[in-house]
Amino acid sequence: MVTASHRRRQRRSPELVSVAQVEGLSKRYGSVQALDRVDVVVEPGCTGLVGSNGAGKSTLIKLLLGLLAPDQGRASVLGHDVAADPLGVRSQVGYLPEGACLPGDVTAADFVAFMAQLGGLPPRQARERTAEVCYQVGLDEERYRAIGGFSTGMQQRVKLAVALVHDPRLLLLDEPTDGMDPQGREDMLDLIDRVRGELEIDVLVSTHLLGDVERVCDRVVMVHAGRVLTQGSIAEVAGTTERGFGIQLGDNGPEVRDALVAAGLQVRPAGDELLVQGASDLVRDVAAERGWALRRLVPQAPSLEETFLRLQAAQGAPPPPAEAAPPTPEAAAWGARP
Amino acid sequence: MSQAPPTTPTGTIYDRGYRHYEGPREGRWRRVRAIVVASVRRALGLKRNWKTKIIPFGLLVLAFGPVVAFIGIRVLVGEAVGEFATYPQYLRIVAGLLLLFAATAAPELLCPDRRQNVLALIFTRPVTRVDYLLAKLAALLLVVGLIAVVPLVVLFLGNTFTADSAATYLREHVGDLGRILVAGTVLTVFYSVVALAAASLTDRRAMATAGLLGVFLASSALANILFFTTRFDGRRWFALLSLGGAPGRFVDWLFGNGFDQGTLAQQAGLTGPVYLTEMAVVVAVAGALLTWRILRLRP
Repeated sequence: MVTASHRRRQRRSPELVSVAQVEGLSKRYGSVQALDRVDVVVEPGCTGLVGSNGAGKSTLIKLLLGLLAPDQGRASVLGHDVAADPLGVRSQVGYLPEGACLPGDVTAADFVAFMAQLGGLPPRQARERTAEVCYQVGLDEERYRAIGGFSTGMQQRVKLAVALVHDPRLLLLDEPTDGMDPQGREDMLDLIDRVRGELEIDVLVSTHLLGDVERVCDRVVMVHAGRVLTQGSIAEVAGTTERGFGIQLGDNGPEVRDALVAAGLQVRPAGDELLVQGASDLVRDVAAERGWALRRLVPQAPSLEETFLRLQAAQGAPPPPAEAAPPTPEAAAWGARP
Repeated sequence: MSQAPPTTPTGTIYDRGYRHYEGPREGRWRRVRAIVVASVRRALGLKRNWKTKIIPFGLLVLAFGPVVAFIGIRVLVGEAVGEFATYPQYLRIVAGLLLLFAATAAPELLCPDRRQNVLALIFTRPVTRVDYLLAKLAALLLVVGLIAVVPLVVLFLGNTFTADSAATYLREHVGDLGRILVAGTVLTVFYSVVALAAASLTDRRAMATAGLLGVFLASSALANILFFTTRFDGRRWFALLSLGGAPGRFVDWLFGNGFDQGTLAQQAGLTGPVYLTEMAVVVAVAGALLTWRILRLRP
């Protein structure tokens, strides 16, 4: 039996540079190559695994959990080789699957306690921990109701409770905000933020929503058609390290850009706006001096969307229609697909 | 009225923040036991709404009720009330209840986990498919065994303690107790494994139940039709086609009773060990099918 102090020491050993690693991983389903010689290193912290539907994200996660066997390549999670020691991996990993996976006719408390016992907790401790974790994910009194009556948002919370209840070192979340309304999405993203920050649990979030990743993740791995497009910190991948402003100034013609550059700002065109870095006061001054109408001035975080679309196009596949149109800032803030 | 003097409020602050779990972690067999306990609860309809309790508790009442009532009457009236039923007769009745119970409980244990995709969560815990299979089998054996063995043992004990001399009755009938336990075990294993194998073939509970009962009924009908309409030497082996018949015929042989006149069993003339072997083969085949189905489960 592993002692408590041993687990404390194991929690953040400095020698562990990656929480998960795959080398040359390939998986084929019939005629579809779901993953093609993928090399990924997942570092501590919160990593987003991003790609459109069918890109291979869920396959990669299932391979990390040992639910599928790869055709080629190796995977290791938290120092355990997945092929050699799948149980060792699963005892330290919590998984939030995409889609339906909850029984309808038992209460949330009973089910989460059962899953806690399957994670190795004795029955009494399982009950206590269930109560704590349900409270943490926002399921306080509702945990005594049958899961069948829960809304999608509450079901996602139950799944998160199941993933956390046995105190894993790594969380794998597959589309955690799937099917939730905007408030529910915000709540779930706040929870993920807390898991990463306060709880010191490493997280891998698999999602097609770049906005979610920009909100909670430190690093991102982009996949498309079974291949890795890029991986790195958000700032590196988005191609910029500073926040800026999206502006619409007059008619945004070339003389506008020249005037802004002359004022000391860095300017980049983006769709029907200009992305500007520098003090917003300078923008105001230029507009006032030239008499141009300043129609929009919106803070912009580094955007993954452009990078993703550019890399996807470069790989040769046409971007899926739903993501082809550039998002409005509001849509990007919600993380919704246009 | 004078005011009470103000008191300093006292209270305790609890930090309900997330804490890492530093307690003991249990091993493989405790995890398997967790699945067994949850499955037994599911089979008996416990911790769910009242409708799920109707069939299991109804069958329990049918299995235990007559025995308990008989003992109660015998205690009041004495031996004059005569014998309730012989052990083999009651075992045959119980066998029917066992089939019904296994046919409803086994799908309840296997089908919802597949249909609702709960396996996606279960198999991402340190639980292997072998653990899952063993746990489900153990749970069904426990619950089916409850009905197969306990009512008969209660009847035996009732007969013993309401006899003129308990010691004499016990001495004369201890063989019957042994036969009750053997028959109960054989029937439990037979119905449990076959029912679980049937349940592993589909993720719809109603289909599994109907399919299993249908196969038992159809096989009996088929055996009777083939036996009574043909006229060649080997036709007695058709008796083995009847899946439902084998347990009862084995029980009759075990207790030294002949088969009833005119039935297929009596005319076929096959003996108890043959039926036992048949059941063993069926259990082996069903067990192999069940194992194959569970091991290839893909959440």
